[in-house]
Amino acid sequence: MKRRTYLTATLLGAALASTPARADDDRIVVGFATAESGFMQAYDKPAQDAAMIRIKEINDAGGLLGKQIEVVNADTKTDRAEGAKAGLSVIDQGADLVVVSCDYDFGAPAALTAESAGLVSFFLCAESIKAGIQGVGPHSFSASVLAAVQGATMAQWSYEKKGARSYYRLLDTWTEYNKGICDGFDWALPQLADATLVGEDTFKNEDASIAAQITRIKSLPEEPDAIMLCTMMPGAVSAIKQIRAAGINSMILNGSGVDGSYWLSAVPDLSNFFVPVQGSIYGDDPNADVTAFNAAYKEATGGDPSTQYVYPGYVLIDVWAKAVERAGTTDADAVVAELEKMNEEPTLFGPRTFSSEIHHQNKARYLIVETTNGKPGVVDEWTIPEAIPVADLMK
Amino acid sequence: MSARTSVARRTLATPLILSALLIVFALLAWFVGSKPFNQTIIDIFLRVILVVGLYIFVGNSGVISFGHAGFTCLGAYAAAWLTMPPMMKQTLLPGLPEWLTALQLPYWAGAGLAALWAAVWAALFGKILMRLSGIAASIATFAMLAMINTIYSNWEDVTGATSSVVGIPIVRTVWPYLIAAILAVFIAWAHAISRAGLALRAARDEPTAASASGIDLPRERLIAFVVSGAVMGMGGALFAHSIGVVTPDTFYLGLTFITLSMLVVGGMGSLSGAVIGVLFLSVLIQALRWLEAGVTIGASKFALPNGVQEIALGVVMILILARRPSGLMGNKELGWRRAGSVAPDVSGQKQPDLSKGVSK
Repeated sequence: MKRRTYLTATLLGAALASTPARADDDRIVVGFATAESGFMQAYDKPAQDAAMIRIKEINDAGGLLGKQIEVVNADTKTDRAEGAKAGLSVIDQGADLVVVSCDYDFGAPAALTAESAGLVSFFLCAESIKAGIQGVGPHSFSASVLAAVQGATMAQWSYEKKGARSYYRLLDTWTEYNKGICDGFDWALPQLADATLVGEDTFKNEDASIAAQITRIKSLPEEPDAIMLCTMMPGAVSAIKQIRAAGINSMILNGSGVDGSYWLSAVPDLSNFFVPVQGSIYGDDPNADVTAFNAAYKEATGGDPSTQYVYPGYVLIDVWAKAVERAGTTDADAVVAELEKMNEEPTLFGPRTFSSEIHHQNKARYLIVETTNGKPGVVDEWTIPEAIPVADLMK
Repeated sequence: MSARTSVARRTLATPLILSALLIVFALLAWFVGSKPFNQTIIDIFLRVILVVGLYIFVGNSGVISFGHAGFTCLGAYAAAWLTMPPMMKQTLLPGLPEWLTALQLPYWAGAGLAALWAAVWAALFGKILMRLSGIAASIATFAMLAMINTIYSNWEDVTGATSSVVGIPIVRTVWPYLIAAILAVFIAWAHAISRAGLALRAARDEPTAASASGIDLPRERLIAFVVSGAVMGMGGALFAHSIGVVTPDTFYLGLTFITLSMLVVGGMGSLSGAVIGVLFLSVLIQALRWLEAGVTIGASKFALPNGVQEIALGVVMILILARRPSGLMGNKELGWRRAGSVAPDVSGQKQPDLSKGVSK
């Protein structure tokens, strides 16, 4: 028995030793330490596909700094300890940029390995302030927009454009993301003259029934103009269904987590329902290039983007490649310096800004998607006039 | 006294051989020099610590514990509290007392105190739980795990609730983990040949006769529980330093079942079994993952479909337990002489089968 163990281990060691060691400087390598299996794969795969589309575009146009971008992968198996290994594995294969899982909790171990190796890391679509300087270190970035911006956007937009004055805040305490949406809402609401919070409540994503919360909404003297619903899949569907089934017809304001039409059949004829998105998957984006990207995505993967979370993958390669181009090198410190110079840098999915204080978007343009009779479509766009201060995000 | 010395000399081979085996793994990591492989070996050492910690209680008392992952959780968070930079503690964990926020220890001191912290809680819980026997005790330990998990998942100011706690210094060299794993093996060995360990194993096999001979079963169990809690706490602390992130759900059912199955496959009644079970299953898991990622043989690339690893692991475990119901090592220990010299063994002891492990 013991001998067999030795033998397997030796073979294993030999095999791992034969994989390519550190890269020479002639290559530009992007390493994906993302989930290829487990539940995170559903989030990581689409965004990674989008990133691959941008890499292919760059390579077809002659490459980056005159070199073709190479790609290496390692599977995190949706496991934190495996995530650290995946990070080390892509670094060993010569990665200049380490792309990690969409979610902060699952991406952090790999991002930390990149940070300690002095490399740039990008979260595919994490929306927590921790996915960056605050939770990883000065070389870490996220390609998406903070959840708080979504809450703030919805509060301001509904106030200005829909005349909403009374709000009800319903928070699902399951994840940081949900809390982030409501934090942004809490930041924005006091700045809106004569907007009032008529009530607030919490529930848990797994709750089968939110009857108690609905009763409290129903017992208000007047139905609120809008309900800020800070939740995500899968619990969101049941909550929305119950709110509408109880005859509450207030506007429902959401974060981007409920984007997509795949679940709409569960709540037939849903109306007065609003979602902020970075780009539209419904074929009606004001920017024709986005629609062209959707077609390219369909060609590459065989399906339309299912939610807006595809887009940050494209953005991250886009901004990183621009920074590398400007720095003239893939050296991490030089690239970070170039990224931090980006102020309202145009991308396909709205302008992006990074600074030495925050490697995330605390202000961004959002398209507003309204669902009417079960049909979602872009109705407007909104950019919060003032960035959310970092101090308010760190609560 | 002289009898004790001779027991030690007679059985010293076991921890020495096991340590040598661990050193071989560490040297392998050192020779290969690949970072992910190094991390894999660190993972294996962490599992060795945890499974040996589990063995100290489960192996000697025969009571299956579903709660030991809780001590790992206690240890991991204690390490976070003691070793994170004060600045990060202030923002992430504002509820910590001031003296603790200001404190920043080196990782080895943190791991030592984390072990102590876990041991204190093991003593408190154990004082009550060790009066129970058999399946009631197992379920009570599970309740303890659920309690610890719920508290750590919700105490926002002190544990960061379900959010990841980051900022824990990362230790990526293999040696501290090797030393800790060897330490765990020697602690387990020393406990097994101590008066408490021998009495506990006697009581495991013949509870009536043991208590008739004046063995205080709850007390002996409590000693094993505390020692094993401390080893689990040390393992948890080192786990925190191995990836630099802790969350409560890491130390829940997944960890409980993987450590228990490694112990069962290796052989519940044997320290060698605990170590060999980990090494065997870890190597198997790693080989399967490697095959999943794909192997190039000649011109063609051969890869197993994703997910085969979990299935194959299950099948292998069933096969092993069907062929050797008491695990790879059964009740034997590795020794110099052939056929496994009976190391910390009570003479005339029967091979415990699995159903027996849970009973009484």
